[in-house]
Amino acid sequence: MSKLNPEEVLKLARLARLKLTDEEVEKYSEELGTIMDYFKLLDEADLSKLEPTSQVTGLVNQFRADEVVEDQKATPDDLLEIAPESKDRYLKVKRMI
Amino acid sequence: MVDEKYKVKDYYPTIGIECHVQLKTKTKLFSSVSNEAIDAEPNTLVNHICFGLPGALPVLNEEAVRLASKAAFALGTTPQKFSKFDRKHYFYPDLPKGYQISQFDEPIILDGSIVIHLEDGSQKTINITRAHMEEDAGKSTHPSGEDFSLVDLNRAGTPLLEIVSEPEIHSSAEAKAYAKELWLRMKYAGVSDVDLYHGNMRFDVNVSVSKDSQKFGTRTETKNLNSFKSVERAVDYEIERQIKALEKGEKIVQETRGWLDDKQKTVSQRSKEDAHDYRYFPDPDIPPIVLSDEYIAEIKKSVQRMPEEIREELSEAGIAKATIEALMESSGNEDYVGLVIEAQKDGNKFAAFVANFIVNDYFKLISDSRTQTNGAESLNKLPGIKVFSDVFELFSSNDISSNSVVMILFKFSQGTTGSVNDFVDKNNLRQMSNSGEIEKIVDQVIIDNPKPVEDVKNGEMKAIGFLVGQVMKASQGKANPGLAKDLIKKKIGV
Amino acid sequence: MSIWPSINDIAKDVKSGKTTALEQVEKSLKQIADKDADFNSVLWLCEERAKQRANEIDQKVNNGEEPGRLAGVPFIAKDNYLVFGAQTTAASNMLKGFEAPYQSTAIEKLEAEGAICVAKANLDAFAHGGSTENSDFGVTKNPHDKTRVAGGSSGGSAAAVALDLAPFAMGSDTGGSIRQPASFCGIVGYKPTYGLVSRSGVVAMASSTDVLGPLTRSVEDSALLLDVVSGKDSLDGTTIDRDEKSYLDFDEDSVKGKKIGIIKEYFGEGVDEGVESSVREAIKKLEDAGAKVEEISLPSLPLALAVYYVVVPAELSSNLSRHDGQRYQYSALGSNSLDESYENSRTQGFGMEAKRRIMIGTHVLSSGYYDAYYKKAQTVRTKLINEFKQAFEEYDFLVGPVIPTVAFKIGELNQHPLSMYLQDIMTVAVSLAGLPAVSLPCGESEGMPVGLQIIAGQKKDRQLLSISKVFEEIN
Repeated sequence: MSKLNPEEVLKLARLARLKLTDEEVEKYSEELGTIMDYFKLLDEADLSKLEPTSQVTGLVNQFRADEVVEDQKATPDDLLEIAPESKDRYLKVKRMI
Repeated sequence: MVDEKYKVKDYYPTIGIECHVQLKTKTKLFSSVSNEAIDAEPNTLVNHICFGLPGALPVLNEEAVRLASKAAFALGTTPQKFSKFDRKHYFYPDLPKGYQISQFDEPIILDGSIVIHLEDGSQKTINITRAHMEEDAGKSTHPSGEDFSLVDLNRAGTPLLEIVSEPEIHSSAEAKAYAKELWLRMKYAGVSDVDLYHGNMRFDVNVSVSKDSQKFGTRTETKNLNSFKSVERAVDYEIERQIKALEKGEKIVQETRGWLDDKQKTVSQRSKEDAHDYRYFPDPDIPPIVLSDEYIAEIKKSVQRMPEEIREELSEAGIAKATIEALMESSGNEDYVGLVIEAQKDGNKFAAFVANFIVNDYFKLISDSRTQTNGAESLNKLPGIKVFSDVFELFSSNDISSNSVVMILFKFSQGTTGSVNDFVDKNNLRQMSNSGEIEKIVDQVIIDNPKPVEDVKNGEMKAIGFLVGQVMKASQGKANPGLAKDLIKKKIGV
Repeated sequence: MSIWPSINDIAKDVKSGKTTALEQVEKSLKQIADKDADFNSVLWLCEERAKQRANEIDQKVNNGEEPGRLAGVPFIAKDNYLVFGAQTTAASNMLKGFEAPYQSTAIEKLEAEGAICVAKANLDAFAHGGSTENSDFGVTKNPHDKTRVAGGSSGGSAAAVALDLAPFAMGSDTGGSIRQPASFCGIVGYKPTYGLVSRSGVVAMASSTDVLGPLTRSVEDSALLLDVVSGKDSLDGTTIDRDEKSYLDFDEDSVKGKKIGIIKEYFGEGVDEGVESSVREAIKKLEDAGAKVEEISLPSLPLALAVYYVVVPAELSSNLSRHDGQRYQYSALGSNSLDESYENSRTQGFGMEAKRRIMIGTHVLSSGYYDAYYKKAQTVRTKLINEFKQAFEEYDFLVGPVIPTVAFKIGELNQHPLSMYLQDIMTVAVSLAGLPAVSLPCGESEGMPVGLQIIAGQKKDRQLLSISKVFEEIN
């Protein structure tokens, strides 16, 4: 049974902006390993000549006309109203640089 | 192999340039809010999609696709028949969804090439690796001394075309010429407003140096340059900085740098950033783009004169290279090139006349008036082709002097209307071209100025100028100076 | 016996003045107040707004204006639908306090026809799960047995309908989340063809398989609702054209002469005897009604689960990136840096299952692993799709159970994620192929409801509803 090593788990957590306890690191290390093992089933399939499917509709060229729609579903004021923090119409966040 | 001629000290510099161009659509790439962010209050050109709210889905702007397809032709290739969008993941407050919608492995443009024109008159081909569509991020500001940053998402979702060059540039002059040429092409293809001041076009320069002409050194990336000058200077600075460091035995760190225009240097922007793993995968919300042959042919037709064609056409009219470049490079809303090309229909001389007025006189008029109005848009407007035509005719038949030409055209640029001929009459600008009249005055001047006449007879040609001046004085500036000079010479017998 | 007439009849009564919209809304609210305390199918009430809307509709009726095909019909929406009048949490602390500033297109369409949302239904947080045990606000119990789960992820929606709290509920199905709880609760759960109903305004889970659909007490109700919510939406580029005919235009001969394939891989070891016999009996009834029934094998089906658990976490990990505490609630207070504010918001907001799936998704997309997992899984997906396509060239419908068991006991499968995931084996392949499918109550086992799953080819929703209607009549 495979295990992911703790560094890998922490790297993933960092990419996903999740903070893990040591316990969780250990747990994910095992769980992810088990799940990855299960995925090995996929190696059995004969995939020659097949392309990956990312969309099932077969649609292409779903365009929108380049026209300003004044009447939007949510107004800019609506959006700022639900923001956790704002200042003078800006979104206020922790220091970026 | 980098040519010897590029060597700086012992090193061969190599430069690759990434250029972000804002497409001039009315709305954003994936949402139907306005794209015109200049002067807008923060967070006013936004909707649920721009804010990346739960449940918000992107829908592709057809005009962005059309402009990107046009850009393909401007970059010396045709748009890819099949392209799609991918998600590029990273966390940052100006990127609302936590991913940017971009094009990764199947972009709309591949394998282009353009010819750049250097200031020394030489040319060079630079190949374009690829160009792809992507959405811009929002803008952030960081008030000094505070523990917070402010984010404005007006710009979030603006359509961009990112153009990537092959690392085939080897000097700052070439880098500048490349930037300029891209700017011209995007402008003339009608793809972007290319307003550098407002950030419609930004350049990132990747610079490395190497002692080995067949290998590249470690490169740095200097981002967000917004003028041709800063491109040139940033490249020079980096080349110098890297050489200095290497000579000291230091290693070049692969990193992102910023350009400080006031200090004219690049600075490291290395943060405690971890290496990015963007986890690209095809965006399931956006069906791919499939362009038909008909569509591509239509687009090709719609891309009219490109800089190369303009250069060719206007050179044929005998217009100087520098004038042609100046016509093309001017920013502002007026179609200078268009007017000159229209003038060309009535002959090369007329075309040159118009071109020279615009470059030598009109540009100065605009910049002077901008200085007076503190940079506000000039209220001057180029007169129509008929005005130019009338003035040209009067000038060609010597009815007006060259000074009058400029004065008349300026007045018409500043709002004078009506016929040129009426204006000339009303302002007494008609030159005396009647040789009889001038002859009378010349005779008188010769009589009145015996010493200068003697000087001329003795070979002092300069004195002719004095005599011409006297004729001009006596005629209140109306005499045709060329004609006066000829008559004086004839009468004196030289 | 249900206390609610058919949706069509309720609307008719409201229009004719026999009842009012307000009465219907109050009836639903009373049901919720009286019956839901033990079951926890409803999370939040939209009481004020519902009454307001009821008054508007009653006004219209009084003025002789057309109030819509669903005039005054109350309903409950799964809490991943953005709706005005209550918060939208997707049953997760990550969205606790999120007041939607816009509504989902499906809700707008329902409201345009006069329907009224009275409450939000419980679900597995972010629709991650098959039991509603992953809700941050408590599990939803099965109306037939309080010690068992209602199913998931649309557990609240299914239980609400089974409890008669409202005439219908709206749910979502990414890998079985409408069909499975419908099967567990003994009601009709309809999953349309992918793209038929706009996903705009519903908290995204897996963009390439997420589908919205109704949970109802009858096939006709589901057909009417599909008629209302389906159609291309300018806010969702993945929507397809709906059927030209009404979804209520049931085919005359929808069973007689039709060829039905029994999916071999959905029977045998691992499937409860009681479930199998119930389903086989149901299939027999279809045969008696004139269908030609045969066994068919779809050899790639056993791979479907592995494909699903690569692709879906990948997509959802991406879709959940936007929940970061920077633009809407939930946002952690007291962080000292930008990094901390991201980590605190997301770590405090997301529950265990969401985190697990985010970790899986991040892993399968990360550099070095993309080809081995994600790309490979999407290629196997093509294989599955082709197999289904081929099957539907020969057969009109495919049938089988919805899930190997009846509703399991609360806590039984929570031990290890893999055992929970294995329950999805009969529903995920259909989701990956974007096909329409329905769960129809067909019998019982151990005293608990069993559902029959009927699957049709892409865009054959009207045909699928037709055969479902017949089955409902002959069952």
